[in-house]
Amino acid sequence: MISHYLEQASTFARDIDNLILLITLTVGFWFLLAQFLFFGFILKFRAQDGKKAQYISGENKWEKRWVSLPHYATLFFDVLIIIAAIRVWQDVKMTLPQADSTVRVIAQQWAWTFVHPGPDNKLDTADDIRTVDELHVEVNKTYHFELQSRDVLHSFSVPVFRLKQDVIPGRTIKGWFKPTMTGGFDVQCTEICGIGHGIMAARVLIENAADHAAWVKANAPQVAAATPADNVPTGGSR
Amino acid sequence: MHQTTTRRLLALLGAAVTAGLFGGCIKPDGAAPPLSGKELFASCSSCHGVGGEGNPTLAAPSIAGLPAWYVESQLVKFRTGIRGAHPDDLEGLRMRPMSRQMKDEAEVKRVSEYVASLPAPKAVKTLADGDATAGASAYATCLACHGPAGLGNEALKAPPIAGQSDWYLLAQLKKFKDGVRGTNPKDVTGAQMRPMAMTLADEKAMKNVVAHIATFSR
Repeated sequence: MISHYLEQASTFARDIDNLILLITLTVGFWFLLAQFLFFGFILKFRAQDGKKAQYISGENKWEKRWVSLPHYATLFFDVLIIIAAIRVWQDVKMTLPQADSTVRVIAQQWAWTFVHPGPDNKLDTADDIRTVDELHVEVNKTYHFELQSRDVLHSFSVPVFRLKQDVIPGRTIKGWFKPTMTGGFDVQCTEICGIGHGIMAARVLIENAADHAAWVKANAPQVAAATPADNVPTGGSR
Repeated sequence: MHQTTTRRLLALLGAAVTAGLFGGCIKPDGAAPPLSGKELFASCSSCHGVGGEGNPTLAAPSIAGLPAWYVESQLVKFRTGIRGAHPDDLEGLRMRPMSRQMKDEAEVKRVSEYVASLPAPKAVKTLADGDATAGASAYATCLACHGPAGLGNEALKAPPIAGQSDWYLLAQLKKFKDGVRGTNPKDVTGAQMRPMAMTLADEKAMKNVVAHIATFSR
């Protein structure tokens, strides 16, 4: 349903959409039902000629059910949502599957610098390819990303991946994604980072194997010193 | 008679509500008056200051009083990625999206003219260890384009450097020398400036020439 409005371009995009849908439908159903009852009771028990208002203490068993049953329902659906959320959180945020490649994402006011590993597929070597506001990745490959900030708090967000991760100055934050479709998609900052926050946009270009290899080959000679960072082994979990 | 008046009032009310609801949704398609240079400058003033006096803390140079042709050319460079798109150009990368807030060439021109109309502030000395006398000989390289008094030369696309903040001049000389600025294949004037900056052996030589430029008055 959500994919009708925004493509799902990563392996975990569908899981996150399903979670959002589960929460929306569950909460939405009970919200509408509560509103229906609320306004229904207002209408039913409105002031009427010849009818005197009465005080209900709420001590009878059948009266208490109006409180206890919604209470149990809330607990049940809360647990349901939490279980579903933890499952997705574990998969997306707590696990790092083995990577085919690693890219470094450096945020600053108000631009994104991407460090690609180059033909040797290793970061911090002489053939690293650095680009501004343009991330090149290959479809169906698992990528690790290393997030760094040069100045203030930012947030790396790729809506089609359903990926959003805060970037904190002084820290290298790791994560992963696996693109599942080719194309060019938006990257945005989702943490207010100054006057240019709203225009801190970039693009992720997902290419097939041949196009990506051609891009790497064409851009590898533009060698420059890579931004210093710790070498991080791929695989494992945090 | 009474019913007709009521209907007319209701129709009028309906029209007013409809206009109120949908009036804001209609794109003016150029009908709105264009923003003035001063209005456009509002987005620049957060870094460059209300009077364009610059802010060293934000590495935003003084731009007030710079010629419109130069401001316009730099804005175009930032907008098109000719300047400010190098991964190591932190300040340029900040300026790049801001330059793109101007919708079109006409807005770029208007804001450039406004910047040019601002009174140039007096530069405050921030670098202490430059030797102006030693820098005078090194300035001979700069003289051909920027002029003996650093007033620039529009025909050669060389901006005035007299009165510019010393910290900014030093930063730009370093950027040119390190290839952070002036290496884009489309940056013709930057490519001319880069070898000139490379004639300065080290930071000391750069500070000397900057100290010499600081003796010029704008």
